Amino acid sequence: MFEKFKEWFTNRHDYAQAWKKRTGGKVLGYFCTYVPEELIIAADILPVRILGSHEAQDVTEPHIFGMFCPFCRDCLAQGLKGRYDYLNGVMIAQSCLHIRQTYNSWIKHIPQEFSFYLYMPHGVQTPHAYPYLRGELEVFKQALEKWIGRSISDKDIDRGIEVVNKNRQLMKKVYEYRKQENPPLTGLEAMYMVVSSQMVDKEEHNQALEEVLKELPNRKLDRNTGTRLMILGSEDDDTEFVKMVETLDSTLVVDDHCTGTRYFWNEVELQDDRLMAIAARYIDRPPCPSKDWPDRKRFPHILQLAKDYNVQGALVIQQKFCDPHELDMPALRQMLQENGIPTYFLEFDVTVPIGQFKTRVEAFLETFALPDLY
Amino acid sequence: MITAGIDFGAKNVKVVILNDDKIVARGSALTGFDLKIAAKAASEMALKAAELKIEDIVHITETGIGQGSVDFAADSVSEVGANAKAGVKLLATARTIIDVGAEEARAVKCDETGSMKDFVVNERCAAGAGAFVEAMSRALEVELGQMGPMSLKATEAVPMNAQCTVFAESEVVSLIHNQTPKANIARAIHDAIAERVVSMVRRLGITEDVLLIGGLAYDVGFVDSMKHGLGVEVHVPEFPEYVSAYGAALVAQERVKE
Amino acid sequence: MTEMKYQTKPLDIWNEGKALRQQYYENYAKAHERGGIRWAGGAWAYSAVPSGLGDDVWSLTGEPYGASVAFNKEFAARCQEAIEAKGFARDLCAYLRNYLGSVVLDEYVFGGEFPKPDFMWTTHICCSHAKWYQIASDLEGGVPFFCIDVSTGLTEDFNERRRGYVVNQLLDGIDWLEKTTGRDYDDEKLIQAVYNECEATSLWAEICVLNKTIPAPLDEKTMYSLYVFGTLMKHRPEVVAFYRKLRDEVQDRVDTKIAAVGNEQRRVITDTQPPWGFLEVFRYLEKHGVVSVGSLYTFSLIGAWEVKEDGTWGPRTTPQQQGIDIKTRKQALEILADWTHARPEWQHFYSAHEKSDLMLRIVREWKVDGVMLHYNRGCEGLTLNIAENRLAFKEAGIPVLPFEGNMGDEREFDLERTKKAVDSFLELLGVK
Repeated sequence: MFEKFKEWFTNRHDYAQAWKKRTGGKVLGYFCTYVPEELIIAADILPVRILGSHEAQDVTEPHIFGMFCPFCRDCLAQGLKGRYDYLNGVMIAQSCLHIRQTYNSWIKHIPQEFSFYLYMPHGVQTPHAYPYLRGELEVFKQALEKWIGRSISDKDIDRGIEVVNKNRQLMKKVYEYRKQENPPLTGLEAMYMVVSSQMVDKEEHNQALEEVLKELPNRKLDRNTGTRLMILGSEDDDTEFVKMVETLDSTLVVDDHCTGTRYFWNEVELQDDRLMAIAARYIDRPPCPSKDWPDRKRFPHILQLAKDYNVQGALVIQQKFCDPHELDMPALRQMLQENGIPTYFLEFDVTVPIGQFKTRVEAFLETFALPDLY
Repeated sequence: MITAGIDFGAKNVKVVILNDDKIVARGSALTGFDLKIAAKAASEMALKAAELKIEDIVHITETGIGQGSVDFAADSVSEVGANAKAGVKLLATARTIIDVGAEEARAVKCDETGSMKDFVVNERCAAGAGAFVEAMSRALEVELGQMGPMSLKATEAVPMNAQCTVFAESEVVSLIHNQTPKANIARAIHDAIAERVVSMVRRLGITEDVLLIGGLAYDVGFVDSMKHGLGVEVHVPEFPEYVSAYGAALVAQERVKE
Repeated sequence: MTEMKYQTKPLDIWNEGKALRQQYYENYAKAHERGGIRWAGGAWAYSAVPSGLGDDVWSLTGEPYGASVAFNKEFAARCQEAIEAKGFARDLCAYLRNYLGSVVLDEYVFGGEFPKPDFMWTTHICCSHAKWYQIASDLEGGVPFFCIDVSTGLTEDFNERRRGYVVNQLLDGIDWLEKTTGRDYDDEKLIQAVYNECEATSLWAEICVLNKTIPAPLDEKTMYSLYVFGTLMKHRPEVVAFYRKLRDEVQDRVDTKIAAVGNEQRRVITDTQPPWGFLEVFRYLEKHGVVSVGSLYTFSLIGAWEVKEDGTWGPRTTPQQQGIDIKTRKQALEILADWTHARPEWQHFYSAHEKSDLMLRIVREWKVDGVMLHYNRGCEGLTLNIAENRLAFKEAGIPVLPFEGNMGDEREFDLERTKKAVDSFLELLGVK
């Protein structure tokens, strides 16, 4: 029942090209999940998150210095290799420095009809961020209107909000099932579900989610749940890794990734000023660590997830050189350990040494099986 | 006129003796800890082959890591400068010369006169080319000389992390444990290094003809991976690891004439 | 060594600068003994704002402090080990690691215990800025911390609305400063500090403009010791006084053709912070008659610039030169925000191409023959997009040497390798 998501995930480019052909619409590639998909959908454009392919490549060296994260280079490689040639435009919402380089190189070397850099604030804890982002969304909306040659009405925006909110609600409902003692879905399936939502028409995705939700109550997996793990950290769509972890008598039951809960956890709360409502949603969402200051608001959120999902241990992963996560990592691990959740740290590259990681994760899992001494 | 070029590599010191622009002898010795001893050994080997004495050499130019460490060299030239000079002499149409040695990779773009136009050297994180193949041949329990021929028999491309040798090494270990055929692993190793080198060369832009030199150019598996990576023909001269020393000796000829 | 073509002599003002820097670090360390206040924050902090708390308010700016640590290689290594032992990655900002390591060791690089600040006051444009002080605050037992988001985009986009976002944060910040320190805020002192900051940063640009001259009166290695005051206390009257005097002396060097490097044959610029422990690379260049006349970094990390009527780059006209009489707190903050957000060294955070254009402008106006790009593993912020800048120089046909290193962590700098690469570059420039 999760095959549809996997298929979308695997054949993302075929899907987008077919969508374009079918609808005659435009496709907008984006970097970073602070991009307000509501407005893009309101403009009848398909938002597609640009992700890497986890293959070794040799094309980004002239553009991005090797000290930046492998993810930003992997994404650019996809563009330089022409895999996203069907995009009509690209945009970014400001978050970490690394991915900005992908955007900068992309707009210079890959022809586009439209490009947009959204000045998403970093100071999401100041009350001034709400009106500020509202203003930035206005600028973005005008840019979109100019591009598509028509105005975007409140009704359009309502439609955008509605379909994205529904997607969030449905995915959250699916996540509810992961709280069960024996979750009827694996972490891998959840990853396919969320990441594919960043690639396909939300209406279609919602339909697929509704199908899944019909069947989930009766679904039983022919596998042992084993140790309940949480996975958190940088961008992560490494299905090979997740698949491997779940062969080791463990299940990933929840996450804090921008390819997971951070993407969909909160909804737009309706108010008359639509742009303000959207702005508030992005200001208030579980933050990327680059925006999580002066207080660390992500930490209590993660702890709550760990409790709600009855997590026994956490895999904290990080894209190599990902500064925002590196800066949070010591305090985050300490916080989890102090709350009785052991953590294991792994550094990700475009590809990971799966055999070695397997040995390491196995060793971590063994610590849960140790007899209690007292 | 007799001149010599001496190239201090990470693994070997190489000496080339020229009579005008004709190579009369080559010599090499392990670099070891003492560059002076290595330089002396390599020079003596070349002098012996040429039946010459050190006094017969009018001018010696050095290149490589140990510049300034021997007293008998008159001056120095950078490796990329030497490679440009020698590359065009060996293949008149060469415009991009890629040098892959034990530790470093570098590439130079030049014109028809052998004058350097631009160059790149690998980043530190991407260091370790020939030395990596050597270490991996030990891990695979394959003789170093067999790595190339074995790699050509690979049946499948195994993706491997190309950015960092430390990561790559642990991937090789994983592959060995997975019982991946040795030929495929050898190929993966060559592909990974080639990918790093090709990445670097792309910073220059790839202008044909491409000449591949340095110790790793002896490895047919690596050469094949480079051809695939670059997507163009790759030429390998005879004695590819002596090219920098040859270039230095050519520079010595020019400097005397100046 | 190539032939001497010009007369050269050290700067007269050199020792005065040295004393001023020493005084700065001492003022901070001894502030409490004298009943004053001390705060810590980034070199790009709105440093004029805490001035409203009184004349006895002293700051410690993190980046120059991290660089000072880097000069002391033994201490730097201990700092790095100390912070790595706390679980922080070694590829993080090298200044941050040097600074936080110094906090963990509780040792001040200038001697004694690390002087804990009363509060932290900074800005956030690079991913590491706010997080730096968030962590420092943790390590120092919860020192109060205020940070202003300044990521409002390119200067050309800095309109009233965006300025309002920054100014509103600053206004909140002033309330916070009063509450945190228990002192009353004096707007007059703020206004004076704003005037000072505008003048000091404009003067620095004026000094850099003098380096368009052949032979260059200043070399970049020397400029590093001079621009630093803008990173320490750009709002202080003593910096204004120092830069006025320096401007006069450099003008004098131009008039009498005194060169920084007597054998100047080729002029280059660099980019990003240099590897501080290895400034001998510059001497190596100079041996061959190659002088670095500056960089976008040295010119505009702090310097305030504008395009003049003749289309060239020059010092920005200050509010006082424009006859603007600042009367209110809000007006002072608006002017300061406008001033700050025109910083050329901030543009690349949004656009690689904007930065390439700025650097190409410097190449033209400062008559530059080649560019050395420090691929600085110690600073993601300033190394951002550097490979695209390299491509822009290549496209423009300007010789460019990328060299890899780290501004503050010597483990990542290989002097011999760098010299070898420089040799090839010298051959390319035709001087070796």
